[in-house]
Amino acid sequence: MAHQAHAYHMVDPSPWPLTGAVAALLVTSGTAIWFHFNSTILMTLGTMLLLLTMYQWWRDIIREGTFQGHHTPPVQKGLRYGMILFITSEVFFFLGFFWAFYHSSLAPTPDLGGCWPPAGITTLDPFEVPLLNTAVLLASGVTVTWAHHSIMEGDRKPAIQSLALTILLGFYFTFLQGLEYFEAPFTIADGVYGSTFFVATGFHGLHVIIGSTFLAVCLLRQIQYHFTSEHHFGFEAAAWYWHFVDVVWLFLYISIYWWGS
Amino acid sequence: MYYKLNGVTQRLTGAPAAAYNPQGLRPAVPPASPPLIFASPTKLVSEAGSQAEYLGTNRVPDLQKAFQRSDGIPVHLKRGRMDRLLYRSTMGLTVGGVLYCLVALYIAAQPGNK
Repeated sequence: MAHQAHAYHMVDPSPWPLTGAVAALLVTSGTAIWFHFNSTILMTLGTMLLLLTMYQWWRDIIREGTFQGHHTPPVQKGLRYGMILFITSEVFFFLGFFWAFYHSSLAPTPDLGGCWPPAGITTLDPFEVPLLNTAVLLASGVTVTWAHHSIMEGDRKPAIQSLALTILLGFYFTFLQGLEYFEAPFTIADGVYGSTFFVATGFHGLHVIIGSTFLAVCLLRQIQYHFTSEHHFGFEAAAWYWHFVDVVWLFLYISIYWWGS
Repeated sequence: MYYKLNGVTQRLTGAPAAAYNPQGLRPAVPPASPPLIFASPTKLVSEAGSQAEYLGTNRVPDLQKAFQRSDGIPVHLKRGRMDRLLYRSTMGLTVGGVLYCLVALYIAAQPGNK
């Protein structure tokens, strides 16, 4: 292996960008084939390939950082920029759905009855399960901060416990939302109210699941001694993402559940 | 080998960040320090007591040695058989998938089909 005279990371040739791109091709064309020809083989193949790619690509990053020492301070800085830019792009993603919601709700059309919520829609009481969900996510923000401080202090047991608690709270939120979806008196097909409600909260729920998964990977890594008190960027990235998910929920709660009811 | 004093806990901690290899300019050289320094509990083992054994032992130093072997193998194949198996299945799905996709799209593009 040649010795490098710089602190940057020259990555080994990797097949995962190719397999990931092919996975995207298969999932998208597979979805089209499913819609028109009632066959899910291509889409399923694509999804399996996507999961394999994600697993191996992120496994390799852990190997490169934790086991090979490639994540020097300048490299870590780049990773931080990358995560911040990614979360920013997600903010814009949600901004679109909030735009759609406010577009329809600030000036309700005559066919809705000229009012918001539209005529005939029974909204969910914002002070029941949605308020509990708010408390659950806010609490998980506290526990993830507790986990971070424990890691920085080198306190192994509290770090593991608080991180596990954060993940449990995330699962609890998902479970409660699932119940709400099942019990809701309106569906996604109920006009623009149903569309904006379920698309915005649905994508949020998906992000909660993604965030919980990211935190779960961090929990496994913390148990396996990957994180040190000075260097644990994987965990910080997960915590940033989790706070983002929490903030999106707060906006959803205020806008759709409370103001929109 | 060097130690740091944590100003908050007033305890000595081991060398920071096994993941940040201070010998970053020469990644092929395995760290010479004893394995304890790379352990994530930065408290000394004697102080941490049972905490150091909570939920398994630290295998990171062994993994670091294994992954820093100078054998020219890329990181995605470094662990041998399991890596190769996963890689080949993934590649198989990739190539097979592209072919299947092209056939499916060709058939879908025929004017006879909906």
